[in-house]
Amino acid sequence: MIKFILLLGAMLFALGGCQQADEIPETEAAFVLPEVVTLTDFKLTNHRLGEYGIENTRGKWSLFFFGYTHCPDVCPTELFMMAEMMRAIEKDPSVLVQPPQVVFVSLDPQRDTPESLQQYAAFYHASFIGITGSQSSVDELSKEMGVFYERVYHRNGDVLTLDSEEDVPEELKNSYLINHSASIFLLNPAGELHAIFAPPHDPNRMIRDLAVIQGAWR
Amino acid sequence: MKHNFFRALSTFLLALCLFAVNAGELVVSDPWIRSAPPNAPALGAFMVLENNSDAQVSVVDVHTSLAVDRVELHRTKMADGVMKMVPQKSIPVPAHSSTVLKPGSWHIMLIGPEKVPTMGEVIELTLVLDDGTKQVVAATVRQGEKMMGEHAHDD
Repeated sequence: MIKFILLLGAMLFALGGCQQADEIPETEAAFVLPEVVTLTDFKLTNHRLGEYGIENTRGKWSLFFFGYTHCPDVCPTELFMMAEMMRAIEKDPSVLVQPPQVVFVSLDPQRDTPESLQQYAAFYHASFIGITGSQSSVDELSKEMGVFYERVYHRNGDVLTLDSEEDVPEELKNSYLINHSASIFLLNPAGELHAIFAPPHDPNRMIRDLAVIQGAWR
Repeated sequence: MKHNFFRALSTFLLALCLFAVNAGELVVSDPWIRSAPPNAPALGAFMVLENNSDAQVSVVDVHTSLAVDRVELHRTKMADGVMKMVPQKSIPVPAHSSTVLKPGSWHIMLIGPEKVPTMGEVIELTLVLDDGTKQVVAATVRQGEKMMGEHAHDD
């Protein structure tokens, strides 16, 4: 976590983000960044929309979550949690200024095609968008948001950890797990990184925080 | 009054028989499989394992009626905000204690299902215990619950 905060600090410094409103809204779980972070444009792909970049996030609030479809536990849990959140918002749209767009970014383009990813994401909620692209594009975006991940292989009972740049050994191509951050990243309608929801997540707490953040924006 | 009590008791006991399978000292309750997208490469299976004996019991393997590539025992752990999935050789259930298999914690992973089962389907799981005995449970496919993050410190 310290590494993550340092990285975030470095990002804020390097990017010279814009000052948020004088008063940072009081949230229950969300960490509202003292200064929003302007993200470098990225070029990923969505099966339905084609190219997906920072432009696609403008004009709406987006919740980015990073994972992969082979993810056995965390991603299904988080996607289900966000689907519950969306269903609660649909039941009472007045709780928010605007419902958020949920974006599931695959860290695993070696196995997740845009098509399989979209089918996977939309199972949880029809509005969910799955995006992925070249490993380098995915890595650039995840690094910029401070998402940590590593691929873990198990060979003859031993653990073999590869960092994002390393190639996968042929015999293990299909059998790795990815340890990854389980935070959810909120982008504001200007396409800037605005707040981070660290786990554990609760749909109602997420909605209350989104309402506070949206209400305080501009 | 007394009559009613016994009727309630017998109903309760019958319900227990239906929902818990008791083989030896390990009682398995609420087995379920998390409903997943039709193209999901892996499925999670969960249940409560209760050990009423004086010795630890461990689940060392699981077989299933579902056609899958393989089954693994896993545990999710959170360290520094990163979720780590750690394959396990066994799932221990200490004496007079229980181990809860749930999202964000211990779970059984069904990897590479030929066909992902849909909501309401019942899948047979055979738990292989460390003493060689087997226990068959029927797991129903249902929607995932939100992660019990607040209770994740079950080390």
